[in-house]
Amino acid sequence: MALTGLDIFKLLPKKNCKECGQATCLAFAMALAASKTSLDKCPYVSEEAKETLGGASAPPIKLVKVGKGDKEREMGDEVVLFRHDKAFYHPTCFAIEISDKLTGAELDAKIEKINGLVFERVGQKVSVDFAAVRNESGNADTFAAAVKEVAAKCNFALVLISTDPDAMAKALEVAGDTNPLIYCATVENYEKMVELAKKYSCPLAVRGNGLEETAALVEKVSASYKELVIDVGTNQLSQALAELTQTRRLSIKKKFRPFGYPVISFTSKDNPLDEVIEASVFVAKYASAVVLKADEKAQILPLMALRMNIYTDPQKPSQVEPKAYAIGNVTKNSPVYVTTNFSLTYYTVEGEVSGSKIPAYIISCPTDGISVLTGWAAGKFTPDKITEFIKACGIEELVDHRNLVIPGAVAVIKGALEEKSGWKVIVGPSEASGIPSFAKTHFA
Amino acid sequence: FKDVEVNPLCKKIYAELDKPDLTDSMSDLDRVRMHLMKNCGIEDVKISISALRKLSNVVREGDFNITLTIVTIKDSAEIINIEAGKPDSPSLGLAVDIGTTTVVVNLIDTENGKIIDSAGTYNKQSAYGSDVISRIVYCDENDNGLELLQKAVIETINELIDTVLKKNKINKSDIPVMVCAGNTVMSHMFLNMPPTFIRLEPYVPGASKYPVVSSKDLGININPDAKVITLPSVASYVGGDITSGVLSTLMSKSELLTLFIDVGTNGELVLGNSDWMVSCSCSAGPAFEGSGITCGMRAMDGAIDWIEIDKESMEVKVRAIGNKKPLGICGSGLIYSLSEMLDSGIIDRAGNILENGSSIRVRMGNEGKEFVLVFAKDSGSGRDVVVTEGDIKNLIRAKGAIFAGIRTMLQQVELDVDAIDRVYIAGGFGNYINITDAVNIGLFPDLPADKYAYIGNSSVHGAMLVLLCQEALYEIEDISDRITYIELSIGNKFMDEFISALFIPHTNLNLFQRCGV
Repeated sequence: MALTGLDIFKLLPKKNCKECGQATCLAFAMALAASKTSLDKCPYVSEEAKETLGGASAPPIKLVKVGKGDKEREMGDEVVLFRHDKAFYHPTCFAIEISDKLTGAELDAKIEKINGLVFERVGQKVSVDFAAVRNESGNADTFAAAVKEVAAKCNFALVLISTDPDAMAKALEVAGDTNPLIYCATVENYEKMVELAKKYSCPLAVRGNGLEETAALVEKVSASYKELVIDVGTNQLSQALAELTQTRRLSIKKKFRPFGYPVISFTSKDNPLDEVIEASVFVAKYASAVVLKADEKAQILPLMALRMNIYTDPQKPSQVEPKAYAIGNVTKNSPVYVTTNFSLTYYTVEGEVSGSKIPAYIISCPTDGISVLTGWAAGKFTPDKITEFIKACGIEELVDHRNLVIPGAVAVIKGALEEKSGWKVIVGPSEASGIPSFAKTHFA
Repeated sequence: FKDVEVNPLCKKIYAELDKPDLTDSMSDLDRVRMHLMKNCGIEDVKISISALRKLSNVVREGDFNITLTIVTIKDSAEIINIEAGKPDSPSLGLAVDIGTTTVVVNLIDTENGKIIDSAGTYNKQSAYGSDVISRIVYCDENDNGLELLQKAVIETINELIDTVLKKNKINKSDIPVMVCAGNTVMSHMFLNMPPTFIRLEPYVPGASKYPVVSSKDLGININPDAKVITLPSVASYVGGDITSGVLSTLMSKSELLTLFIDVGTNGELVLGNSDWMVSCSCSAGPAFEGSGITCGMRAMDGAIDWIEIDKESMEVKVRAIGNKKPLGICGSGLIYSLSEMLDSGIIDRAGNILENGSSIRVRMGNEGKEFVLVFAKDSGSGRDVVVTEGDIKNLIRAKGAIFAGIRTMLQQVELDVDAIDRVYIAGGFGNYINITDAVNIGLFPDLPADKYAYIGNSSVHGAMLVLLCQEALYEIEDISDRITYIELSIGNKFMDEFISALFIPHTNLNLFQRCGV
């Protein structure tokens, strides 16, 4: 079990010098407990504390890097089983498979296609992460030739798939300096694979057959090499789900070291639709990397969206989307209420507005999910910001009039808001509960 | 303060100096210094310019017998005043609590720690806004805003000082030191520091420790060279009033895990012991101070501070402060109301007023349903005293914020509520709270009543402690350094807790098993 902030605090120097960037030693201890900072930020920590804390605060799942420079991706370093407990930190990496049987123009076309799996979503550029070259030919030279091509032309880091140490050795000769993920060490080949991984200092995937064999193999391998990714070797979805859960649970709850590494999963289905559904389970359930055969944009985009959503930091105030909401059968003459985008505030207002039986628009201004008075206090619900949003949300096209109802609690902004927005401002009731009778008097 | 050794910031020392002659032509000041070094063990004493200017005359006026007023702040001693002959008044100091709403000045005899007199009044800054945020906004929106606000608070303090000094026939020059405790915004405005960024993300104050200033630089009407100490803050919304309160409870020196609650607008909480302390501010709003409540008022004459509802007849008994006819309801009355209305089935756990039951007292008002506590014929204002559904929701939010703050803070340190050994309730309002009812509505955690204690205005008590004990100044600075501020707006733990607390007493009734829910 991880140490609590107070446990860690007891071992700190208690100087409150602020040199770690935190206001107090206790704040630093709490940040350490939440894995938000590292012990080396404290210049005064004793050797004894380092030893105790180093072991206890070591991440339950190792951080492993694949690729170099722009192509580098981080995997692992997770701390929870459910995202709402803290957050999932390192998004699942998607690898698209390429067979080494492809050559020439066919191979170029495939690389080109994978390079095209880049999307823009809510203002962010997202893409797949790896090209996984599989030694399907069984021939070492063919494999190395394909790997060389992909390494030169593909925009993503590599996963090299072969259980033949000779093929892997040849592939690493041409791509070993790009820090590819070597897939994989097995019970039969692990000694040679570990030698190769060491020689090129590349991450190495370890595949066992089931949980027990995998754990035993990882223990053997990790005795001499620790840059590992694990694969429990299952290809049936229900079993994979159970095993992904076990590995994550054992690593975090029991600090079971053999499973303290990121996990790689392969889809088993051939139909792309089934494959995407399979992959989506892996995204939600702890896989650090997923290898897919599907390569169409339409197949990959939903996975990108799912990954972004699952790996979003949930520690944000609950908020509604800032926009103009229509309540009931609105017309060009419907009244317009303004409030913040804090869920609780918005739904309180929405409940009363719909209860008033007078169709209306509610504009939920973007205040980062804080309430009316808090927003006003923190300078996020100001005449300037409301005016800006009135223009942006399109309400000016939705209604013919220019009358705006503001919450009674911020009556003080009436003058400035009228001046800045050009709208006539009506001060509404202080409590949303007053809206029905207010609406009856003003808009019935 | 019985257990605190008196070692005040200011002392009067009567000195019979050796008279100079042609063989002993030491300067007057050196003569004073020599005397202090030899007889009082005070080395390296400084002197204020105004004291120095009158030194030669006063020394001779008293025939080389003089009384020195010396202020010692952190080993740095300074002569603030000199009088001829023996002292004609005790050694004095002022302890001041600069509250957002009220300002209190205590005149203290620093030799025996007695409060000679005390005076309080409304903070004149209220003309520019009733809460700290409105006042910051006023500063931001008006060119001379800060100047006006500083002037207002200085005037308020000066009037109070005037009152107590006149009443006790004390000269201004006899006050050599003043210790002020206020929240961070009040401290900034008092020292003429811009408060703008306190309210803007990421909520950073200009400073949390403040320099010692001369009263003349602030316009405080006491000895012009008097030392004015402003007690240190923790963060933007946990200020010197709270560090001062913590100092006065001595919780920072005790092994007992103590929860300190200031039931005010900011709702500051401090949890900890001699090992560690955390704090937060849960912005409860002014509902418990009577503000924002239809018939709410401060705890003064005519305010209902106790009610009882007969569960059978729905008859309401009330008591108003000063045995006057009821005018409105103060914080404790509101807590009683909520608790009694719940127990007699007038409201449900979500705070909705129910139709059934006492139909004469339940009716429809402008802002939804309301419950009549006192009919116009029995009230002092000739109007009905009511509690509306809106008021109830307001109170539920206020109590929810405080309870959620307590829960979030406990979670941060991963402790259970039962780990708390004692709870101190501070704030002018604290004196009027009934613990059982406060627990019944879910304002305070369900702990045995004997763990709770009222401590009143702990802010001014802390200021007095500093005045009476030089070491307390080190202690309070240490407190301000050691308290870890928890920002509740990060993450949604507080919000989850807050929403769970918007129910009487709570969504999770298991948290209130002791009170028999």
